[in-house]
Amino acid sequence: MFKQTEPKNMYASKMFVYFSQLLERPVIDRDREGVGRIYDIVIKPDEVYPQSSSLIIRKGFPNRKYAVISWSDIEELDNNEVVLKIAKANVNFSEKHDDREELTLRRDILDQQVIDSSSHKIIRVNDIHLLIVNHAFMVAHVDISTRGLIRRLGFESFVDYFVRLFNKNSAYISLEHLIRWKYIHPLSINPSSMTIKVNAPHKQFNSIPAADLGEIFLDLNINHQIALFKSLELSTKARIFINIDFKTQKLLIEELSDKEVIEILNAIPSDEATDFLEKLPKNKTERLLGLMENKHSKKLSQLLGYANDSAGGLMTTDYLVFSKDTLIESVLKQIKERVFKVEPAQYVYIVDEANRLVGSTNFRRLMLAEPQNTLEKAAFPKTYFVHLDSSVKEVAYLMEKYKYYTIAVVDESSILQGIITVDDILNRVISIAWRRLKRIKIA
Amino acid sequence: MKHRVRILWLKLVLFLSVMGPGIITANVDNDAGGITTYSVAGAHFGYSLVWSFIPIIVALVIIQEMCSRMAVVTGKGLADLIREEFGVRVTFYAMIILVCSNLFNTISEFAGIAASAELFGISKYILVPICAIFVWWLIVKGTYLTVEKVFLLACLFYVSYILSGFLSKPDWHEVFVSSIKPQFQWNKYYFFMLIGVIGTTIAPWMQFYQQSSVVEKGIKLENYKYSRLDVIIGAFVVNIIAVFIVVVCANTLFKNGIRIETAKDAALALRPLAGQYCFYLFAFGLLNASVFSACILPLSTAYSVCEGMGWEVGVNRRFRQAPQFYTLYTAIIIIGSIVILLPGVKLIPIMLISQATNGILLPFVLIFMLLLVNNKRLMGSYTNSRIYNVISILVIIGMIGLSAALFSMSFIK
Repeated sequence: MFKQTEPKNMYASKMFVYFSQLLERPVIDRDREGVGRIYDIVIKPDEVYPQSSSLIIRKGFPNRKYAVISWSDIEELDNNEVVLKIAKANVNFSEKHDDREELTLRRDILDQQVIDSSSHKIIRVNDIHLLIVNHAFMVAHVDISTRGLIRRLGFESFVDYFVRLFNKNSAYISLEHLIRWKYIHPLSINPSSMTIKVNAPHKQFNSIPAADLGEIFLDLNINHQIALFKSLELSTKARIFINIDFKTQKLLIEELSDKEVIEILNAIPSDEATDFLEKLPKNKTERLLGLMENKHSKKLSQLLGYANDSAGGLMTTDYLVFSKDTLIESVLKQIKERVFKVEPAQYVYIVDEANRLVGSTNFRRLMLAEPQNTLEKAAFPKTYFVHLDSSVKEVAYLMEKYKYYTIAVVDESSILQGIITVDDILNRVISIAWRRLKRIKIA
Repeated sequence: MKHRVRILWLKLVLFLSVMGPGIITANVDNDAGGITTYSVAGAHFGYSLVWSFIPIIVALVIIQEMCSRMAVVTGKGLADLIREEFGVRVTFYAMIILVCSNLFNTISEFAGIAASAELFGISKYILVPICAIFVWWLIVKGTYLTVEKVFLLACLFYVSYILSGFLSKPDWHEVFVSSIKPQFQWNKYYFFMLIGVIGTTIAPWMQFYQQSSVVEKGIKLENYKYSRLDVIIGAFVVNIIAVFIVVVCANTLFKNGIRIETAKDAALALRPLAGQYCFYLFAFGLLNASVFSACILPLSTAYSVCEGMGWEVGVNRRFRQAPQFYTLYTAIIIIGSIVILLPGVKLIPIMLISQATNGILLPFVLIFMLLLVNNKRLMGSYTNSRIYNVISILVIIGMIGLSAALFSMSFIK
């Protein structure tokens, strides 16, 4: 244990130590004979603030040898050295140290890239801030600051002195750029299972907006992408999948089994699935459709048949639809109970017995309406729609004119086929606008 | 038959999509400094140094192939890997030397632009700033794919040296014989030149640049063989062009006993001997090579430093997303172009510093590479085979020896 003379204060600097300052400290046995030097620390990653579980020490040069010492064999952690309970002869040194499956600080975190879910970025760890608790270390923060970099280079006090000369309250010294461990996701890959070593707490990933999550993902290198993707749960996979470019999608699909691919295709909205399938070579698309559930694949292959820039090609088949005679209270109940692939815009479509579109309503109108009434009573006075072959421009024009977030798509006999959401239209309109802008710039 | 054509076509498309990093990196080897060296070699020693391009090809392929393989297998840049495996201290000092060496290299590329400005009769005070702005604009406004296309186009312009080679009407039989039959001249000038020609072949920035650009391209393991082909083709192309530069100078300047000091001298001396077209092609080649390398060197520096230090990196990002990357890139271009416009700047010491820093860094980079490429945890089954290791160790020892010789030689002179 580090010797404490001051009263216990969680934030006293003595309670914390930087990992880089521990490295290379001498390790001595119970007879005070030198055993080696601190090389690495193995941690138990499952807790919120993981604890050190064993110490890896190193000796010899150039023939380096490594030994793993369980934390229970450590007598004392001093400011300058580590004292062991066991004798030197009982420490087993070997040449290997690299193929461990556990998470270790030096190899898996220090100097490596990790995901920071508070800033939604991939960062490189300059140092690790450890808390000393009960004879052990707890990983508290990671340091990504320039000061951390300078500390590692051994110039910290020198640079600090100079900075203080010019500005006593410099942000460089007073602000510690520490990121709490709970936001950090190490990316090191388990050598045997080829997945990420630490099971990423999914809650953290769920707090990142889907588009940002996709961007973080694209910043990773191929191996990390594959390993991370494989270790995520289905809903996160789906969220990432629809927010990455086709090239990366294709790459992931090639790495996954057919079963996993189908799972993902089932979990993402149908317009996203068709967008993806459309770009694959024909034989691959057909094979995947063949493997899918009958109902779903039928829907998708139908969607695939429409021209890419028509209403049919843009629409999704995930939306809320009820028959006109349904009671409003049962509509509300079903909305509450249903699980959605994406958050639906607040529109509900109303059809007759033959699935012909008769009207639409929104959540606000539903809530204000009498629960015992039929759905038809809560409908908007008029509902505008587009046809399967309507152009992007037509759809955009109507949605803007009537301030719709979604618009219904019907076939020639008014049967409801799907809806187009405002984000898909914006996507198209923006890309058309960009192309024009570029042309103007060049001319 | 139809099926076979289809497969061939598919393979070609795959290769074209992977092609780029190897060819671009190799071609930057023929930069302003390279062209000068080859011109002088041709003018002073005729065809007698042409054979040395065969060992150069071998060395280039062996070393660049390892970079390309590491990039594809690990998906990480060389600076990334050095930081992750050897720690921050080593990386930091390596990066400082790399920045120095690349900065001085960039200055000499701008010197090449200034020289070609004079050849075309344009003021260097006009051409150098224009090229500097073009180079800066290309990276800051471009995406990786557009930038790479521009670079590949620049590679194509090296054809001007092949054309000028043909215009000088050499005796091809003689060229061929001397390229496969080593001939030594036992005097120190010949050896100085030989060391100069081979020693400039492999510079530290090349490994960093190639590995980063393969990573940025996102080449997959199953297409690795095309990436290797890219490296091999690059090594051949660059040396064929170098041979043509030697041929032009050997066939005109050497035969007439003209001594030259720089690539500019070579171009000027060519005009009366090989005609106006040959002169313009040669001068254009110099301009193209200098602009191209003035673009890649700062880019490569910014890439490596930001990778190693953990800053945001990439041509595909905006200035605000990757401030360190663009600051470094911009600073090197500004310094490089301003230094060359200062009155009374001497080029020789700049070249010497650049060679010296290269010589210091190269052994470290090559040894790191060898350690990394043989690391089972990183490379899995893609580590070097035993024979490959023996060859690459020999090549590396040879390159280190040569660059040390070049380094000490430049001080003897």
